[in-house]
Amino acid sequence: MFHLGQYIPRPSVVHGLDPRVKILATLMLSMTILQANTAKAVVLSVFLIGGAWLSRLSWRDVGAALRPLVFFFGFLFLLHLFVTDGRPLSPSFPMVTVEGLSRGLITTWQFMALVVCAALLTMTTTPSELISGIERLLRPLRAVRISSHDLAIMVSLALRFVPMLLLEFHRLREAQLSRGADFRGGAVMERLKKISSLAGVLVIQTFQRADELAQAMEGRGYERGPRTYLRELKMGYADYTVMVLMLVFIGALYTLAF
Amino acid sequence: MIRIENLEFRYAAEAPLALCLVDAQIGDGQYVALIGPNGCGKTTLAKHLNGLLTPTSGDIWVDGMNTKDSSTLRDLRRAVGMVFQNPDNQIVGMTVEEDLAFGPGNLRLPAAEIGRRVEEALRAVGLAGYEKRPTHTLSGGEKRLVAIAGVLAMRPQYLVFDEPTSFLDPAGKRRILSVIRKLNESGIGIIHITHDMDEIVESDHVLVMTEGRISMAGSPGEVMSRVEEMKAMGLGPPQVTELMWRLRQSGQDVQETVLTIDEAVKTISSLILRKSGPGGEGAHSGV
Repeated sequence: MFHLGQYIPRPSVVHGLDPRVKILATLMLSMTILQANTAKAVVLSVFLIGGAWLSRLSWRDVGAALRPLVFFFGFLFLLHLFVTDGRPLSPSFPMVTVEGLSRGLITTWQFMALVVCAALLTMTTTPSELISGIERLLRPLRAVRISSHDLAIMVSLALRFVPMLLLEFHRLREAQLSRGADFRGGAVMERLKKISSLAGVLVIQTFQRADELAQAMEGRGYERGPRTYLRELKMGYADYTVMVLMLVFIGALYTLAF
Repeated sequence: MIRIENLEFRYAAEAPLALCLVDAQIGDGQYVALIGPNGCGKTTLAKHLNGLLTPTSGDIWVDGMNTKDSSTLRDLRRAVGMVFQNPDNQIVGMTVEEDLAFGPGNLRLPAAEIGRRVEEALRAVGLAGYEKRPTHTLSGGEKRLVAIAGVLAMRPQYLVFDEPTSFLDPAGKRRILSVIRKLNESGIGIIHITHDMDEIVESDHVLVMTEGRISMAGSPGEVMSRVEEMKAMGLGPPQVTELMWRLRQSGQDVQETVLTIDEAVKTISSLILRKSGPGGEGAHSGV
């Protein structure tokens, strides 16, 4: 199942930070990464490695987030390497250019850094913390009549039911396999058809489930709009300090010319 | 007190009558078992008790609130907690404590009060220490208990259980039943929906439903003693009742009120003793 960037409980400073700080930091870093030149890329790489070290995440943890995308990174690099116009790197391979090499390197780095950045957030923050962080950050949206509470409930229900749907899908598949269905062989279209028959059943079951869930939620007094939470987020000293440091760091990267 | 007056319910205007209850009452702190074969309208009735469904005609009053009155719906939902059959479809939180906080959060209680209620509800169902557990990793029985605790955190006056022991192993069943009994002892009124005759023994009062109507009512002893009628409805009596019934059929002098295994053992041994005389042969033959 999904292990991409899943929460890893560790006793670290980063784990204890307010999720809002981590979300905002991730957003700021992502924007900087997308505009980085080589010099900034080096600084940001050091920063991300430092972040992972502070989060007590190992190379292996971070590698686990990158591994599923290795082919994508390779493809991205080769694409830029071969299709960018410019001065040939060596006369014997006129397709490979100096510009292509540098564009390929920086673009691939950008995507890898974005993935690491997002993984640092999700590996140090539980889904529920993430949701309450997003909910608090989006509260000003009520000015345009969007309820952050409703959004938070939707996201958390989605997260809660994804593992269950997967389980159900496997159960259905096994039930059909045990009655002689074969999902492996055959042409692509044929396999798709077989899988889609499973999807139909799954969709119907999901709607029934949703109906019951809605009734249960209503029974527990659920109404749209404001509600209260077991843990209200509260910014502490450390949170404010990290936020200020982040702003200074990002500001410096933007203003200082490398 | 929950009072049902001339309740009629249809799912649609032309649909057949799904429920037709002339008069029924559930007292404060009473333990009422609602038993009947599949499709007799038990769950439909349950959904009426906290306003998830409203009567087509007639009324239901819960502590003076009419379930049709939308201005008291919030208080009604708080007063009557519903525990549905499938816990997977009512657990909304990713962790146990988050799920239990859902109801109190809907009531907009302050965080400290939510924390108190979460702890209290977990203790009541015997799951203290489960706060941080992800809900999808729990066993079937634990999920049921979490679902019960989730409703309990709203501090209801009544709890409606819709077949709370289905799909559980015998140990899991016993655990749930003992939690229900404990909750009743703490003063919460219980409406226990089941099709298992074994489970009505604990109740104060039994309502038997068939085809949307209450066809029989009385104490567990009274209901169970009408073995033939229960069998006709497709409800098998518990083993003890069946045994006592057969003994009575064969002309033995056996009381109708014998419900538990202990009582049965006493009754049968006294029968044997009477037959063979004290110290006589067969006094110790297997019971």
